[in-house]
Amino acid sequence: MQIQQIDEQQAARQGDAAEMIIKTRDVDVFYGDNQALKHVSLDIPKHQITSLIGPSGCGKSTYLRCINRMNDTVDGCRVEGEILLDGVNIYGPEVDEVLLRARVGMVFQKPNPFPKSIYDNIAYGPRIHGLAANKDELDEIVLTSLEKAGLIKEVQDRLHSSGTGLSGGQQQRLCIARALAVRPDIILMDEPCSALDPIATAKVEELIDELKENYTIIIVTHSMQQAARISQKTAFFHLGEIVEAGDTEKLFTSPSDERTQGYITGRFG
Amino acid sequence: MSSGHIVKSYDEELESVRNTIVEMGGLAESQLEAAVRSLTERNSELALKTIEADKAVDELEHSVDNMAIRMLALRSPVADDLRLVISALKIASVLERVADYAANIAKRVIALNQGPTIAATSTIPRMGAMVRRMIDDVLTAYSNGDAELAYDVWVRDQEVDQLYNSMFRELLTFMMEDPRSITSCTHLIFMAKNIERMGDHMTNIAEIIIYQVNGEMPREPRPKGDKTSVTMIENDGSESN
Repeated sequence: MQIQQIDEQQAARQGDAAEMIIKTRDVDVFYGDNQALKHVSLDIPKHQITSLIGPSGCGKSTYLRCINRMNDTVDGCRVEGEILLDGVNIYGPEVDEVLLRARVGMVFQKPNPFPKSIYDNIAYGPRIHGLAANKDELDEIVLTSLEKAGLIKEVQDRLHSSGTGLSGGQQQRLCIARALAVRPDIILMDEPCSALDPIATAKVEELIDELKENYTIIIVTHSMQQAARISQKTAFFHLGEIVEAGDTEKLFTSPSDERTQGYITGRFG
Repeated sequence: MSSGHIVKSYDEELESVRNTIVEMGGLAESQLEAAVRSLTERNSELALKTIEADKAVDELEHSVDNMAIRMLALRSPVADDLRLVISALKIASVLERVADYAANIAKRVIALNQGPTIAATSTIPRMGAMVRRMIDDVLTAYSNGDAELAYDVWVRDQEVDQLYNSMFRELLTFMMEDPRSITSCTHLIFMAKNIERMGDHMTNIAEIIIYQVNGEMPREPRPKGDKTSVTMIENDGSESN
């Protein structure tokens, strides 16, 4: 019994040791008079995959969009509370949201490559952020990004053909490569596989799993199985609040809250 | 969660798994009852029927397996649904073993009935009744999702073990007094051992129910009372452990 207790203490210490790259403190988000997020406090561990799940309109995408201040672009949207990225409040006055969005990349539900060549899709970000001093450096960034996104073998012979000519799954990985090119720390993904077939989904999931070595990933998904398959942590949102957040395994085998149970088992109206 | 799934057929499938487990448990219990009665009544015909009836339990186990595999493949159950399906797989396999033990008792009854009546059989029905109550309670706990009742069964097995210990010692002395009784006493020891194992299996099911209801197994070690594996009787009849 004593040994078990020591193990538990060690486990607790290791749990504490996981570095939290994002700390969210009591965040409220309003769209005009409508409150979309209520007192959300959530920590996101570094170099892990965190899934955000919940029924439509629960606030999970709103939360995701707070992390790179995408909500700033929405009229009448007001964010209160603190979101700390490495200890710095990203809503602080000194924060440049363009630099923030380079550090916190985003991949959307529908693959949205620019109507440009595969090369230029990826080179676009590094060019505007001045990340490459010359053509060779830019080539290097493009190729490494494609490599990291697991796309290089499929496109190396046609880097200058249009990105929109790729299959849906390839386009989505191109968008991931594009996000990687500006050297982010965090990648936000809003249902990145919902428009993909199972094979393309599996490839993107495999890629996400590899990326967690070097990046922190937060993914919104409507697929419970996807959340269960790929993430280490899961947060369940409902009516603008976080009902339950913690280890994915625990949440899908014995959730603590009846609402979580109801939602993930398909009993929720 | 008391409310049903949005997909109603999912609820029907889960219900069907639950009902099959309860049916298996009911059969296993009546198998035990019949096996013990065939002993006390020296009724070889009843014993034969009991052996035959084991097939029905085997079939129900297959049916639980098939339903569970189908649900795992098609429904991807999670949370309490997942625990129910996994628990059903495990409980069905345990109940199948329990029915096997009952059939084994019945086989030994047929062998015993070929010899003269023996005196030392009274403990078996007492053990049988005790284990039948455990089966009954464990099934009630299963049907009602009652972790407390399951816990009660989990600790109760010690009583069966104690009865088994005393019967074991009693039969050893019988055999020493009259070596002609060795065959029948050995059969009786195996019968008692079968019932004692059934009791153990009920504690396994109780653990599974506690897991199914609470999401975790009981943490403390289960109290155990079977000391027969370390019991020795010396030639002068004295006992050492």
